[in-house]
Amino acid sequence: MKWRKDDLQQYVQAKEYIDTILLPLIPIQLSKDDQAEKYASQAEVMHILANEIEKELTGRIMLAPSYHYLNSADKNTEIHRLKMWAEDMKEQPFSQIVHITFDSGWKKHEKDINDNLLWIPAVQAGEINSKEMHRIIRDQVGQTAELIRSYWQ
Amino acid sequence: MSDEKQQVSRRQFLNYTLTGVGGFMAAGLLISPIRMAVDPVLKDSSAGDLANVGLAVEDITSEPQRIDWSVNQVDGWYESEVNRSAWVYRNDDDEIVAFSPICKHLGCVVSWEGSEQHPNEYFCPCHDGRYYKDGTNVPGTPPLAPLDEYEQEVRDGMLFLGDARPRGEA
Ligand code: FES
Repeated sequence: MKWRKDDLQQYVQAKEYIDTILLPLIPIQLSKDDQAEKYASQAEVMHILANEIEKELTGRIMLAPSYHYLNSADKNTEIHRLKMWAEDMKEQPFSQIVHITFDSGWKKHEKDINDNLLWIPAVQAGEINSKEMHRIIRDQVGQTAELIRSYWQ
Repeated sequence: MSDEKQQVSRRQFLNYTLTGVGGFMAAGLLISPIRMAVDPVLKDSSAGDLANVGLAVEDITSEPQRIDWSVNQVDGWYESEVNRSAWVYRNDDDEIVAFSPICKHLGCVVSWEGSEQHPNEYFCPCHDGRYYKDGTNVPGTPPLAPLDEYEQEVRDGMLFLGDARPRGEA
C-alpha cells in the first residue's frame, strides 16, 4: 500500500493484514554543489528501491511518505520527531516500522530508534537508467524484501 | 485613473483569458482522439497490446519459469514504463499458460515454490497464500480466486503476452 487515497481506502478495509510500515529516511543538503548532487541521486535511488519493495509486498506493507532531514542536523532531534511519527502510526494496528536508509549516520543511533533500522550501503550511483543500475537495484530489492520477511517470522 | 476603467479592463482581461483557455481545451478535445488513432508511436506496445516477452516457445517447459518485460502505460498524469512479470509453463494438455504473479488476496508477488514447506505450489510471502500449479487457490489460505491469466499469442515461435484477466474471462 502507498500513501494515496485509493490505497488508504483499501487499507481501512483490510487493516489486520497490513502490519508493517516501510519508512524511507532520506538526507538532503542543498548548500554545497557537489554534495547536493550526491544526495539527490541517492534520494532518487531510494525512491525507486522503496517503491519496488512496496510492489513485492504490497499486501502487508504500507509505504509511508519519506522522512527528509538535513544531513547536517543533529540526529537526536530527528529521532525525537521520528518517534512522534511512530507513535501516531502505531495508533493503527501496525506491529512493525521498518526504517530504510542509505545514511550510515543512523547506525550509531540504532538503539535509540525503537523500531527496525535497515541500513543499506549506497550504490555509487551511475546512470540511473542503465542496465547495470537496474540489476543492482533488482538485487537490493530482493535482498531487502527477504530481510523484511524475516522480521515477520 | 478611475476605478471603473480598471474594472472594465480586468473584466476584459478575464474574458480574453477564459475564451482563450476554453478554445484551447476544445481544440485539445478535438485533436486528441484523432491523434491517438493516427499516431502509431502513441499506440506502440502500450498496455493492452500484446508484447513480445522475449521467450521462445521451445524453451517453455512443464516447470513454471518467471519472465519479466516492460510496456508503456499511461496512468492518469503519468506515462511510464511499467514492468510486468509472468509465470509461464506448459500444462498437461500441452497448452502454454502464463499467470500473473499478483496475489489475489492483497496483491503481493507470488513465487513458484516460494516456500520450502509447500513444493509444487505458488506461494505468497505476505500471508502464506498458496495456489496449485494450475493457478487455483488452495482452499483455507487467504486468496479467494485463482491467479489471473495473461492473454497470449505465439508469433514466429515467440511468446506474446497482453493483459492479465481473471480466469474464465481470458
Ligand atoms: S497478499 Fe497474498 S496472501 Fe495476502
